[in-house]
Amino acid sequence: MTTRRSAARAAAVMVLCILFLLPVAFMVVGSLRMPGLTPAHGFEWLPEPLTWSNYESVFSFVPLGTYALNSLFVVVVAVPVTLLVASLAGFAIATAEPRRAMRVVVLSLLALTVPVAALWVPRFVMFRWLGLTETLLSLVTPALMGTSPFYVLLFALVYHRIPRSLYEAARLEGLSPWRVWRTVALPLGRPALFAVAVLAFVFHWSNLIDPLLYLSSSEVLTLPLGLRALQSFDVTNQPIFLAGAVMASLPPVVGFLLVQRAFFEKTLGV
Amino acid sequence: MRRPLSIVLGVLVTMVTTAACVVGGHAGDQARVLTVQIEGEPEDNQVYLSLVARFQEANPSVEVRLIQVSEEGEDATAKLTTRFAAGNPPDVFLINYREYSQFVARGGIEPVGPHLDEAGIDLSGYYEEALGAFRYGGELQCMPQNVSSLVVYYNTVAFARAGLEHPRSGWRFEDLRAAARALVDHGSEGLGIEPKLIRLAPFVWSNGGEIVDDPQRPSRFTLEQPEARSALEFLVGLVRDGLVPSEEEVASEDLETQFVTGRLGMYLGSRRDAAKFREVLGFDWDVASLPVARRPASILHSDAFCIAAGASPLDAALAFVRYATGREAQTLGALSGRLVPSLRSVATSNAFLDQTQPPRHARVFLDAIPHMRRTPVIPTWPQIEELGDEILHRAFYDEGYGVSDATTDLRRATDELFAEAAK
Repeated sequence: MTTRRSAARAAAVMVLCILFLLPVAFMVVGSLRMPGLTPAHGFEWLPEPLTWSNYESVFSFVPLGTYALNSLFVVVVAVPVTLLVASLAGFAIATAEPRRAMRVVVLSLLALTVPVAALWVPRFVMFRWLGLTETLLSLVTPALMGTSPFYVLLFALVYHRIPRSLYEAARLEGLSPWRVWRTVALPLGRPALFAVAVLAFVFHWSNLIDPLLYLSSSEVLTLPLGLRALQSFDVTNQPIFLAGAVMASLPPVVGFLLVQRAFFEKTLGV
Repeated sequence: MRRPLSIVLGVLVTMVTTAACVVGGHAGDQARVLTVQIEGEPEDNQVYLSLVARFQEANPSVEVRLIQVSEEGEDATAKLTTRFAAGNPPDVFLINYREYSQFVARGGIEPVGPHLDEAGIDLSGYYEEALGAFRYGGELQCMPQNVSSLVVYYNTVAFARAGLEHPRSGWRFEDLRAAARALVDHGSEGLGIEPKLIRLAPFVWSNGGEIVDDPQRPSRFTLEQPEARSALEFLVGLVRDGLVPSEEEVASEDLETQFVTGRLGMYLGSRRDAAKFREVLGFDWDVASLPVARRPASILHSDAFCIAAGASPLDAALAFVRYATGREAQTLGALSGRLVPSLRSVATSNAFLDQTQPPRHARVFLDAIPHMRRTPVIPTWPQIEELGDEILHRAFYDEGYGVSDATTDLRRATDELFAEAAK
């Protein structure tokens, strides 16, 4: 009975995996199609003729290597800064006097309701004043505010659920708030740390609108803008776009494969 | 307590300052740097890059920084409006005539007309239909690059299979319907037409109607009037009769893809589509003029190079605009197949009418020019058009939504925007 149940579970997982992998397979297979051919009707298992040349052609249309390095730079700087700032801010909220904490939470929720488009012009003016337009710093700067109030609130919620007596005991031992955060809150809130790291990574890696508005020079553009340019290809040249999409997807996939063991072990205990 | 915190702050400052050193881009524009924003797909960009290279060869003291924006979505407009609002627009930008007046109304454009007059530039070689679209407040605001129009693209193989011949100039609305019916009867989809005002307008004009009460100073839509209404009913009738792909079919595969894969026999498009179709291996296609009801009519599709107010250096911006709309640059554009040059001598040259490349009847684009009309050039037109397209979409695909509902809703949704533009 147990064997049958685990087999059914494995089959269900397999079906789910296939469902999620189908678009990826479509992307990879499509990238091997010769440009100029009329698009296939429905899913094509193996293009005829099969070509790898699209992976080369991409670079003749957009400097994808430069864009990838720029994107990498943004996430390498922005994700740790986001974690640090959001986590510290969340800890401050969680340990603050309740009325004061509530005020900050309400303020954060209000900040979340501000439409992103309303910030485009003020940010542009500010970045211009600071001399940050045309630099990757304009993409990194939001990390100094924790990237999003949501991340701060997420940390606050997680740290709030840690028994207050633990913080108080640590303080009685003479630990500074900084050390309480580092030795008590941070280790116990590790799942939130991973979750925000993933969310911040996805946000900064796929951020399209900020580089579109604040950057123009091709030396500082990022991968999403490169893909956006390739996306406007006509239908018969879509294989070149798909080749670009495969290459842009590789770094996050490789990154996830590298950290997945630590992720599962340290957060879920599997 | 303070030490660890200062370490954290130190790390942050170090990261940010290191980042500044690593990625410090252009600290500030030099005296002879010109920023030029264009919109297009990657292959358009190649054309503009060679155009810029040639311009810089002739003007070594000017450095052109090309800002290439994807034509996907509203990327170009979002970038342009944000930069204008922030007081840092590109010096020169390419824009459609349906969108530039909002920038003129806010004093954002340096009119090119007076400068060209001063330099003694003769504009008589340019199509007046394109120049006229960029005159606002009595002055030529921007210099038109192209003068495209709407034509009927058709699949020659599907036409032959359905026993259809090349549609002659002056073919009728009913001939279009009959051709679509024949295509459907022979296994293809009939006609691909997007539910948009710029697609509907030439049908209205050809039927003797008007889309607005006064093309120069419009105060409202007039699609409820008999001629306009009948043109709308004609197009909606094509959809209801299954001669136009359904909403579901378009959602699963866009019209352009349906056309290049041979599933769609006819497709209404502008000159930009010609360059795309040329690249499809083994695809036989041609173009025909729009069908006629009472009089021939087509709609202008034109982009122009505009100079932002306060552009610096202005002389370099003017030199670039003159070059980009001059004979050499327009020939480059014509050879790419993507545009109908606004300069008559290039449009009638072999660079555009090249018979070795499809479409065989490229002259159709030029024949349409004398019959071209344009949508109103008012600052609120982009919003009006967006609302109008939403309503037309419903009129096309929602069977419970009649033409009367559409014309009423159109007035209700846009009257205020017309009034706002008239202020």
